Amino acid sequence: MNEYKLVFTGTTGAGKTTAINAVSETPTIKTDVANTDASLDKALTTVGLDFGQISLTNGDRIRLFGTPGQTRFDFMWKILAKDAFGIIILIDNSRADPLADMDLYLTGFLKELETIPCVIGIGRSEKNPTPGIDDFSIRLAQRNLILPVIPVDVRRAQDVILLIDILMAQTEADMI
Amino acid sequence: MNISEKLHNKYQQECQQLLNGQTGILAVVIASADGFDIASAVTKSLVPARIAAMASSISAIGTVVSQEVSLGNSKSVTVNTEKGFTYITHLELEGKSCILNVVADDSAVLAQIIYQCSEIGKRLNNT
Repeated sequence: MNEYKLVFTGTTGAGKTTAINAVSETPTIKTDVANTDASLDKALTTVGLDFGQISLTNGDRIRLFGTPGQTRFDFMWKILAKDAFGIIILIDNSRADPLADMDLYLTGFLKELETIPCVIGIGRSEKNPTPGIDDFSIRLAQRNLILPVIPVDVRRAQDVILLIDILMAQTEADMI
Repeated sequence: MNISEKLHNKYQQECQQLLNGQTGILAVVIASADGFDIASAVTKSLVPARIAAMASSISAIGTVVSQEVSLGNSKSVTVNTEKGFTYITHLELEGKSCILNVVADDSAVLAQIIYQCSEIGKRLNNT
């Protein structure tokens, strides 16, 4: 049996904890505390990590880790990304500048992205269609990155599974 | 976390008194549970904002560990290092859960720091 480590990161409120909750077979371990940041419209925020896990049909297991979103917790980003087989960056398209948000995490995980496959998931894009998927891809290309960008609703397990499937496919492609 | 200037000065005074009153303390930081520094006293180039965020993460992980093993609420976390330690404990300020973090070198006595932190907790709870 193989064990894989997958990291969810991205904007605060983009749904990292929700995504892990949606697919984890075990109750998600959360480090949520009361949010005191008035600029964020949420009662709780993750300050340590989230953890869940899923089993694949072949018996392999994926351990799912979620990072805090705020940059003041960027030391946790490095800790959690160590030995990960993939990184999923979740972006909230209802925020003021989602492209800048993506830039923040691409920079934060710059070293890791040299070797670790990554997928970008864009949330709340149905009600907030701008920027579009092409805009994200163009911004990635400007950074010499070619990464899958897909719209997601992380409350739906099948959307989260799709993100993971794409990462797995990327990993297999890299092995060829 | 919004606090009055009077309370902020009180918290600041507690941090400074602890730093000045005990040997080996490098930093004392009071932080909100979500990692914002509220009051601090530091030496050297330690950054209170950074210490506050790290203390928040460590404290939260301590809490989930204690829940996972059903040993009641986490009271404190100590990180012992080759050259000192970090002691992180919970504080209740204005009805809100907060964190008191002390960073010290190996000339500090952990038991004294624990005692002093407990006294600070009692005093601030009664403010």
